[in-house]
Amino acid sequence: MKFLRERATKRLVIGLAVLGLLLFCPTPSQAYVGPGAGFAVLSSFWTLFVAFLYSAYAFLTWPFRQLLRSIRRRKAYGKARIKRAVILGFDGMDPELTAKFIAEGKLPNLAKLQEQGSFRKLRTTFPAISPVAWSTFMTGVNPGKHNIYDFLARDLKSYLPFLSSAEIRGPKRSWKLGKFTIPLGKPVIKGMRRGTPFWHWLGKSGIFCSVIRVPVTFPPEKFPGVLLSGMCVPDLKGSQGTFCLCTTRQGGEKFREGGVRVPITQNGTALHSYVPGPDDPLSGSSGGQLRVNFEVHPDSGKKLARITVDSEKFTLKVGEYSPWVPVKFKAALGFSARGICRFYLKEVFPEVEIYVTPVNIDPGRPDLPISHPVTYSIYLAKLFGPYATLGLAEDTWALNEHVLDDDAFLAQCYANHNDRERMLFDALEKTRQGLCACVFDTTDRVQHMFWRYLEEDHPAARGVPRDQRPNVIEDLYSRMDSLIGRVMSQLDKETLLMVVSDHGFKSFARCVNLNAWLHQNGFLALKEGRTESGDWFENVDWSRTRAYTMGLNGLYLNLKGREREGIVQPDEAETLKEELRTKLSGLIDPASGRVGITGVFDCAAIYAGPYVDNAPDLIIGYGEGFRASWDSVMGKVTCQIFEDNLKAWSGDHCVDPRLVPGVLFSNRKIVEEKPGIVDIAPTILKLFGLPLPGHFDGKPLTVAVEGAR
Amino acid sequence: MASFNPVGGLRNTFIYGFRFDVPTALVIVVSVIVGFLMVLVFRYTSDQKAIRIAKDQLKAHLLAVRLFQDQLPVVLNSYGRIVQGTGRYLRLALRPLLFAIVPLTILIVQLDHYLGWTGLPKGETFLVKARVSHAEVLNTTNLQLPAELNTTAAPVHIPQDSEIVWRVVASAPGKYAINVGSADKTFSKSVTISKGLERISLARLQGQFWERMLVSTESALPAESPIRSIEVGYPARSIFFLGFEWNWIWLFFVLSLAAGFLFKSMLGIEI
Repeated sequence: MKFLRERATKRLVIGLAVLGLLLFCPTPSQAYVGPGAGFAVLSSFWTLFVAFLYSAYAFLTWPFRQLLRSIRRRKAYGKARIKRAVILGFDGMDPELTAKFIAEGKLPNLAKLQEQGSFRKLRTTFPAISPVAWSTFMTGVNPGKHNIYDFLARDLKSYLPFLSSAEIRGPKRSWKLGKFTIPLGKPVIKGMRRGTPFWHWLGKSGIFCSVIRVPVTFPPEKFPGVLLSGMCVPDLKGSQGTFCLCTTRQGGEKFREGGVRVPITQNGTALHSYVPGPDDPLSGSSGGQLRVNFEVHPDSGKKLARITVDSEKFTLKVGEYSPWVPVKFKAALGFSARGICRFYLKEVFPEVEIYVTPVNIDPGRPDLPISHPVTYSIYLAKLFGPYATLGLAEDTWALNEHVLDDDAFLAQCYANHNDRERMLFDALEKTRQGLCACVFDTTDRVQHMFWRYLEEDHPAARGVPRDQRPNVIEDLYSRMDSLIGRVMSQLDKETLLMVVSDHGFKSFARCVNLNAWLHQNGFLALKEGRTESGDWFENVDWSRTRAYTMGLNGLYLNLKGREREGIVQPDEAETLKEELRTKLSGLIDPASGRVGITGVFDCAAIYAGPYVDNAPDLIIGYGEGFRASWDSVMGKVTCQIFEDNLKAWSGDHCVDPRLVPGVLFSNRKIVEEKPGIVDIAPTILKLFGLPLPGHFDGKPLTVAVEGAR
Repeated sequence: MASFNPVGGLRNTFIYGFRFDVPTALVIVVSVIVGFLMVLVFRYTSDQKAIRIAKDQLKAHLLAVRLFQDQLPVVLNSYGRIVQGTGRYLRLALRPLLFAIVPLTILIVQLDHYLGWTGLPKGETFLVKARVSHAEVLNTTNLQLPAELNTTAAPVHIPQDSEIVWRVVASAPGKYAINVGSADKTFSKSVTISKGLERISLARLQGQFWERMLVSTESALPAESPIRSIEVGYPARSIFFLGFEWNWIWLFFVLSLAAGFLFKSMLGIEI
């Protein structure tokens, strides 16, 4: 205490001395003590001045806006039965596991929520894939009306895949100047999801909405509220996430997907490597790639390395992540792209290996719009520091490829998750009335990658003794439960809380190569002399192919007049579909004797809407423990139909949608026993007293609203 | 302070804007060096991370006022946080200020002796003023000048201020010592007749430590002296820069800030 008092006295004396010096100066001009004081005073004055202007504007216009709002509110809140709706999306939270953990007393807050309100299984979409299900969640319609059927869609001319949710193209015009191709204008970003998210209806009625990281909200659409885009936001390269492994090791196989290997080279005493970036915008079609160089000084004795990237210098121990590091990819003529990434030191001896996350769009200086308004992502970055913006921010590919180990992957997941929690609580504070919706992806990624430890004999965890298997999934559910508890403590009686997941989870122990089955059963043909194809149907003979599959659950007919090399006559399509359904339904895995496919669904029967033509012809419902093989997803025909899944990605939901419903928790009683994810949008609109658009497929749920005004 | 005449200033900018004399060049050089050094002082004496966070938070709260402007409680809350954040930022800026304040104050005071005032021109009259302890002493106070300096009129007594004023003219440039005598004692004071850049001492004072530090380069008058001060009426110097006449301190303020902003961006330093 005495020490503290002395320090305080010392500080006081110094403070008074400075004040004295300033006061004794006879004129204000001589009180100026250089640019340091100038900066401090100017910056402070400027901040306060701008804040004053903003606030004055807010105050002066507030009565008018209040009047406008009250007119709007009469329409919106006039019949509203709740003041606020908080929707927590836990991607992939499984109802069976949840029920099990609740029964074991491990999820006290969810148990409380169940007791206070309701816990239901939530019917998912066909197929049970996140972009499809969340699109239905937000639009209240079936995929035939929102146009999202999978992560990938196929190009009818080339049979090649493209991202189904958004299309990013370079500027329409460019100017050739010597060796440079100068882009004239900005990249064109086109959202492919159709339908109107329900927060647009709320916003138009004067109900404020904060929407955070709901999948398939890229590019962000304009509406009266704030939104941060989620799943499907690309990295700076334009991919869905390309990590980089910088290594002194020679050779090494090329990563199948999701990553690149970059050499670390010795130059003098330091090691040098680089982070690969986007294509050079000035190189036109020649395809040059931008890069950011960095320098590494490993210290094998202390098991650490000092890394220098531009002006950023940091030291990492082995097994440690850096904070987000800003990187600027410079092209000629002053063009540049800014991103952020994290470095992870894997090893310093005998070799040096550094993993670098995909280069995320910098939320503080976004080169592409990732929020609405654009300033919202900047606001969050200024408030909490840089954060992951990539749609699939948790690097599952790196764990699959053994570039990251379990702990490193989990550290990455929970770092992102903690950022998301901060955003959620800020949104809760800022949205006292209206809608606050936030989706957490951690539940999905962690279950995908750690399901193997839940099962006795999962192929991806064979050889790992039971007592060495971490309780990752149970811990995950506990963390989510704790989050729900903290959210509940902030809610008043007029707030509706819903905890929603888009689908559940099952094991992914066996791979089914449907293209192989189609080949072996005469529906798909390879070119003469071939027994296997390459990726994306390389060496497939389209002139003799009647059906093919790509992506996770879709099966397509090679239809004449639709596909470029289609051979199936339109009048034969129904017969062919029926034949495929009959032969595939109940397909048995000879090794295990279990049913690999439990249902095949005709899209003409399950979808309705203006975009049905873009849908696959059939949706494959895999049995529990099965999923489309990694090769089949990438349009590859192999010899094996069934094989073990040895990857860390060991749990999945791209199975028969009837097997993987999501969860719906609510702090209010819900009457319906079998609600669907399609019902959430109409339910929220109805609770806010808004009329339901006629095109909705979902039905509003009957929610008891005690305590609401 | 800069005298502001937009039309004349614009014309002068075109005609004389880039004509530099020694004092102007000196102010520019000193400003750039001080700007650079201050940025370095900021870099090494401040908590750069804390300053960056404080500034970012301020920006965030500003954005919040704009993003959530329909929600008055949020606006009020954010404004409160802006005021709080500004205080935090100023507190963080205080530490580097503490390091800089003494050397910079000394530097500015010393520069002011050179740049704040010009030497006296040859052939033009100027005033020498002496303040005495009480009015009775005025009758016995006299001025002794070297050959190159002459009075042009009889001295003026101002008993209510205990002051006596002489009008003097110089016939040749140089540095001279004038003597003010009273009660058998004389006290000297330097006088600079020059067009160039000279170290000017405006006054010789008795006591008054802080004021002496700012306006005088000479030793203090003895404590028992009946003369309290001897002042010479040097004209203030105007620095001509970009078509405007500036007091050097304002030009220094603007240029050192500009240099600081430039160097901070170049060196990636948070200020």
